Amino acid sequence: MARVATNEGAREQGSSTLHAEVPPAQAQSNIAVDCIGLAKRFAGGSVVALDGVSLTIRSNEFFTLLGPSGCGKTTLLRLIAGFETQDEGSILVQGQKLDGLPPFRRPVNTVFQSYAVFPHMSVEDNIAFGLRMQRRPRSEIASRVKEMLALVRLGGLEKRKPAQLSGGQQQRVALARALATEPRVLLLDEPLSALDQKLRAGMQLELKRLQNEVGITFIFVTHDQHEALTMSDRIAVMNAGRILQLGTPEEIYERPTARFVADFIGDTNLIEARRVSPGRFRILSGVEVEADEAGTIGDDVTLAVRPERVILGAPGQGPLAGAVDQIVYEGTDTTYHVRLAPGVRFRVCEQNRGGARPRFRQGDAVSLSLPADAVRVLVE
Amino acid sequence: MSNVRQRAGLLTPAMAVIGVLLVLPLGLMAFVSTLERGRDGGVIWSRHTLDAYVQFLFERDLMDNLVLNTDYLQIFARSIGLATTTAVLTLVIAFPIALWMAFQPPQRRTFLLFVVTVPFWTNLLVRNYAWILLLRNGGVFDRLAQSTGLTHEPLNVLYSPLATGIGLVYSFLPFMILPIYVSLEKLDRRLIEAAFDLGANRWHALTRIILPLSMPGIVGGFILVFVPCLGAFVTPALLGGGKSLMIGSLIQQQFGQSRNWPFGAALAFVLLALIVFALVLHGLRYRRLAGRLT
Repeated sequence: MARVATNEGAREQGSSTLHAEVPPAQAQSNIAVDCIGLAKRFAGGSVVALDGVSLTIRSNEFFTLLGPSGCGKTTLLRLIAGFETQDEGSILVQGQKLDGLPPFRRPVNTVFQSYAVFPHMSVEDNIAFGLRMQRRPRSEIASRVKEMLALVRLGGLEKRKPAQLSGGQQQRVALARALATEPRVLLLDEPLSALDQKLRAGMQLELKRLQNEVGITFIFVTHDQHEALTMSDRIAVMNAGRILQLGTPEEIYERPTARFVADFIGDTNLIEARRVSPGRFRILSGVEVEADEAGTIGDDVTLAVRPERVILGAPGQGPLAGAVDQIVYEGTDTTYHVRLAPGVRFRVCEQNRGGARPRFRQGDAVSLSLPADAVRVLVE
Repeated sequence: MSNVRQRAGLLTPAMAVIGVLLVLPLGLMAFVSTLERGRDGGVIWSRHTLDAYVQFLFERDLMDNLVLNTDYLQIFARSIGLATTTAVLTLVIAFPIALWMAFQPPQRRTFLLFVVTVPFWTNLLVRNYAWILLLRNGGVFDRLAQSTGLTHEPLNVLYSPLATGIGLVYSFLPFMILPIYVSLEKLDRRLIEAAFDLGANRWHALTRIILPLSMPGIVGGFILVFVPCLGAFVTPALLGGGKSLMIGSLIQQQFGQSRNWPFGAALAFVLLALIVFALVLHGLRYRRLAGRLT
């Protein structure tokens, strides 16, 4: 509370921007956001949205909260923005405690899923809104608006109203508006989910470029794993109000530590197994596979193997024998559904380098082999 | 082509209703205003004259010259003043109520909407008489003011312009609350969050986002209160004591006691013309605003 008071004082003394509030003595410049033990319940405590989430987000990081709808990712974002108040825990932005501060006192801005561009204001008035609220000088507002228009490539449209803009353009206005006041952290709540596929791919690159250019920490919320993998520096995978795994896209995809993560991100073959020696696992009454991970013998585990890492061959080439159940042509890839035993199916994905003609036909006997470095061991 | 004709055919019932209930009576009223008044009330259908309109602005002096007479203009000005004051007061009271209602949980909103419409279940006359009981000397407000020592003399509120104002604001409050509530309820809450997020405090969120975006409701409510208020005659008669004449009472008198139908019709027609003029002006301004958007 005392800090809030001094910050107020600093602003009145004419510090140039709202975001110059934190005393320079704060040396943790490499940490942008610190969440400590955040818990949030809705509907009188019956719905747990966040169940003790702690996480540290570095400065200038493109950080993604990924999870299915209802996993708590948007709640976490709204807590940081100040639209909701946590039941437990605290949030710090660059060492400044935000607890109890209303949204308009927080050095973070939000890009909303629905854009939330002000419909009665022109593009430039939208972008200038935050600057005007901070009572910046007129000349500075004008030049800053121009700068922002160039940044999001909307030059020439400054007089238009949002109703005259396409969804993608409105998205850019929302971005420019949120970036104009130079927030410490930009929060993005599924900003691309309303765009069509093509536009979305373009905006993904655009967002990444923007983040590099402005050097602001981005916290991005999405349920789209592809989006998360292509854009993020680090990803936190969430489910049921908890963070299940936090890591780079490669770590999350290649080395999932939880069954949910393996299943949610990308396509995965999951198979029950028992550890028979430190690196060997028995599956399907007798067949044994190897993995690069050591552990306690006798454990019941789940093995996860990505379809594109499974090697499909003629009968006898690999240790696992089966038959092709179904072939799905997907443009760049072909996925074979291989039945190993009654009720046990494996998906194998192969790139269509040789054109659309599949190597095997439905009903063909085949064999599978699983490279040891492709097998992930999930203990639960 | 036949398709267009078919669709035109579908319009017939609506057009018939509008024709019989709106255009026909209005035409009749315009026609009556150009007739000569009958000696014992009614009109002489065969004699046309614009006397009624002349009477509105002039009177004849002893030498039978036309002299400007501002009596009726004053009544119009007084009525427009009262209607404007009522509409403004209603707006000032209704906006916070509508705002508060729109931000309640959905179930409570339905209940509150019902509460707002409760006065409609009682006849306007009855409600006016209720106000008489409340406002008269020795009534609830009077006794309250005297017992709390606010005043030692009777309040004398009843049969004053203030009583008329209170009655009108009370009667028309729902007509202001409902349209504003509707526009506020439709308002995307994310826009308000976005304003807060960008550093707007509550006042700025209200004046820069909520007010401009609820303008259609405010304008609609204003028209819904202002227009019927101009023609109101029950409340001014009962609560105002009929001391200061309003347009509504004046017109009613012409058809009643004065038995001067042409003059009554002419007055009504002038009032209608004024209102239509004001609405067209507003419409043009609105269109120009909209034109600036495109």
